[in-house]
Amino acid sequence: MRLCNPKTKSETGFDHVVHSLNPRSPYGKKRVKEIRPFAPGEETLLEQELSRQESAMALLKTEGRRMELLSEILMQMKDTSFTVERTKNNVLTMVELFEMKTLLLQMLGIRDLLSPLKDSIPEEFFPKDVEEVVDVLDPDRERMNTFYLYDSFSCRLAELRGEKRRIELEVRREQKDRKREVEQRYGITMTPKFEYLVSKADKEKMEAAQAMPELTLQEEDYMTATFRLRGTPVVHALCKSMDSLNEALEDEELLVREALSQQLGAHRDVILENSRRIGELDFNLAKAMHAEQNRCVRPRIVQEHILEVKEGRQLVVEEILNKKGKDYCPVTLSLKDGVACITGANMGGKTVTLKMIGQCAMLAQHGFFVPCQEATIGLSSYIHILIGDSQNVQRGLSSFGSEMEELKDILEHSKDRTLLLIDEIANGTNPIEGLALTKSIVHYLSKRLYITLITTHYDNVATEDNSRNLQVRGLAGANFENLAREIRYANRRERIEIIGKYMDYRLYEVEGEKEIPKDALNIAKMLGIGNEIIEQAKQYMEDRNDEK
Amino acid sequence: MGFLDHLAQRHQRISIVGMEKNAGKTTVLNYLIEEAMDEGISLGVTSTGRDGESTDLVTGTEKPKVYLYAGTIVSVPVQLYDLADAGLEILRMTRYSTALGQLLLCRVAESGYVQIAGPVNTKDHKAMCSEMKELGAGLILIDGAIDRRSIAAPGTSDAIILATGAVISRSLKRVIEETLHVVHLYQLPRLSDGFVRDRIEEGTTEEKILLVKGQRIIALELQTGLASGKFLDEAIDDTTEAIFLPGALTPSVINDIHPAKFKQVNFILKDPTRIFVGATPWQQLRKRGFSVEVLENIEIAALAVNPFSPAGYSFDHKELLTAMRDAAGDIPVFDVKYDGR
Repeated sequence: MRLCNPKTKSETGFDHVVHSLNPRSPYGKKRVKEIRPFAPGEETLLEQELSRQESAMALLKTEGRRMELLSEILMQMKDTSFTVERTKNNVLTMVELFEMKTLLLQMLGIRDLLSPLKDSIPEEFFPKDVEEVVDVLDPDRERMNTFYLYDSFSCRLAELRGEKRRIELEVRREQKDRKREVEQRYGITMTPKFEYLVSKADKEKMEAAQAMPELTLQEEDYMTATFRLRGTPVVHALCKSMDSLNEALEDEELLVREALSQQLGAHRDVILENSRRIGELDFNLAKAMHAEQNRCVRPRIVQEHILEVKEGRQLVVEEILNKKGKDYCPVTLSLKDGVACITGANMGGKTVTLKMIGQCAMLAQHGFFVPCQEATIGLSSYIHILIGDSQNVQRGLSSFGSEMEELKDILEHSKDRTLLLIDEIANGTNPIEGLALTKSIVHYLSKRLYITLITTHYDNVATEDNSRNLQVRGLAGANFENLAREIRYANRRERIEIIGKYMDYRLYEVEGEKEIPKDALNIAKMLGIGNEIIEQAKQYMEDRNDEK
Repeated sequence: MGFLDHLAQRHQRISIVGMEKNAGKTTVLNYLIEEAMDEGISLGVTSTGRDGESTDLVTGTEKPKVYLYAGTIVSVPVQLYDLADAGLEILRMTRYSTALGQLLLCRVAESGYVQIAGPVNTKDHKAMCSEMKELGAGLILIDGAIDRRSIAAPGTSDAIILATGAVISRSLKRVIEETLHVVHLYQLPRLSDGFVRDRIEEGTTEEKILLVKGQRIIALELQTGLASGKFLDEAIDDTTEAIFLPGALTPSVINDIHPAKFKQVNFILKDPTRIFVGATPWQQLRKRGFSVEVLENIEIAALAVNPFSPAGYSFDHKELLTAMRDAAGDIPVFDVKYDGR
């Protein structure tokens, strides 16, 4: 199911949450990439998903120490799916076999760690038993995380290696005996590497050395000659059998690796299933941790298409505010099929509220907890946020043009149970046509089974039966005297922040036709626009009212 | 007690460093491995990186291949594992990587030839060596992949074995002279703990030249001492007691400083490998009162002499060994070819 476009994912802040997840293992990371939305009708599956996260949260709360140990194992894990895949028809290399053993031991470790909790955690979190598979690579059951083609893998291997060692020793012994013999016979000293060095200036010694049948001239420079002990026929014979032995050893090692790969291949399914389970566990722990840090709650999923958020927060904006040492002002909002318009002062957080609702809906729909105090959510089949974005303008389209293009798309894609979030539509054209168009869009949408939330500056847009007006409290309740005093001594950046401080972002419902308070001139004035302009603007407004 | 036993008691990690390329480093390593085998010491063998030897990798010649005995702990990159002639039990996949893949720590199960490689970065190297220790290596031998002395910089190892010999010069006298010069430099006094040292160590990351005037430390804006001797001369006044150079000490830096100031000012360097002054000019500087201290000096565990030069000439091994022993004082000297101990 395609729930939304990428822009909706990023603009609502859903992507931000996904990117903030910090799974420890490659399997958890892989699971993050498989996040998908739940469609209307899949409520049961979604509840299961949410329950898994709930158990992960419980684990974090009550099993802290155990989870730390788990996290250590998870962090050491490597993605070996390719190796597992290769067991199908290939012979694994030594390093791959080692990696498989490491992986299997890690699976055993996780299973051991979780086994006391076996009955209280979801089955999807608990790796299956792989003792039998580990035995393939660790027949002696030492359970050490090291690997070698141990003698116990094959009798023949042990036999060949024993033979090789025996021959090596024999060669060495033979050479040593010979060396001692030669040294005694001629009264010379040889190096431990069976070499005899002679200064070439010493003619007598040179001649003597050349005459020794047991030695052969190996190399010489203009001062020194190096003689080497000749191998005896016994040594030659031993070396020869060593060559064929080495060959046989290599063949046998390949056979052993082949057998091991095949045996592992037979257990591929359980290995892959365990990787999946570990990914699921890791992913849910990461989600749980995120929910914990951001005070998210489990949404109540209902059949009805509604969207109720109590004290909701938009996490991207909250993060920015927190960094500046400020608090986010949570907003409560309750929506059902029909159109709701948010009006209110500039800088009143209308757009942020729109994104907040989008984020809550998107998170719930993807099986996440939601940043608010309480949320009741009915699944949507299509979600779209229409919001000004600079990209289209860069593409050469006017803001109005790109907006209309996108609107057309939305209207074509929308079906029952759609959630539309529209930010200040038609504000890029003349106010008369803009207002008309907005009203007409509201009229159209209010007839449909969509939840639509629109922010606008136009008065009295929501006049239809199935529509309502929500208003930002804004500066209505603010103490203007204090505000004016603070503003007077502030610099430019501070002014905006001071206005923000006095702004009340919460919404209230407006009954009947009522004019929205005009705060734009006030705010412009506070931000330092000269009196001449402000007064003239007020004059124009009065003239217009008189005309009416 | 054997020679290696003696070394193992005093040091944990020993780098083998050549005075020049072809000083016979690998020969020294092989010799020490044989000795360890005879003395029953459990060895760890690794190297500092492998960069600079890429041509060898391509042609497949002259790789630092060493014969290792069963029980030795060795670091091998993944891509060289299968090329090993020895049987290697994989003990650990480390997090250190090289151009040839991640490093494996292995225990030799069946003796044979192995191509070794190690981490390039000093910090990683140190961490890996302690892992080898954990796995049971009593003494770790480090083969510097590049036959250059700069690799001897402290941090990688506790002490070094300096490989020297006929390769340096055709004149025995010069071989001894040059070797002693390096020995002398490596053993320059270490700057004592205290105010000056603390301040330098705080600031080393900034790589600035520092002037020490009593309790005051002044940082100069110059980044390096290279070609900045005149500015240094200017900066050193009557109250300057010491100067810290984060970069190299070269003749060009020193030549621009008024010799009368040598007696008054103490030069401080990071480590002896930063000095690029030959034996003779160094002696002359010393006579004028030039004094240097280093943050870290280098302990020389032994000198390995090789009477053969790849250029074709050689010295009489006994003559070289005796001459070097007379000159080296307390430092043990051994001949890798002749085993003349």
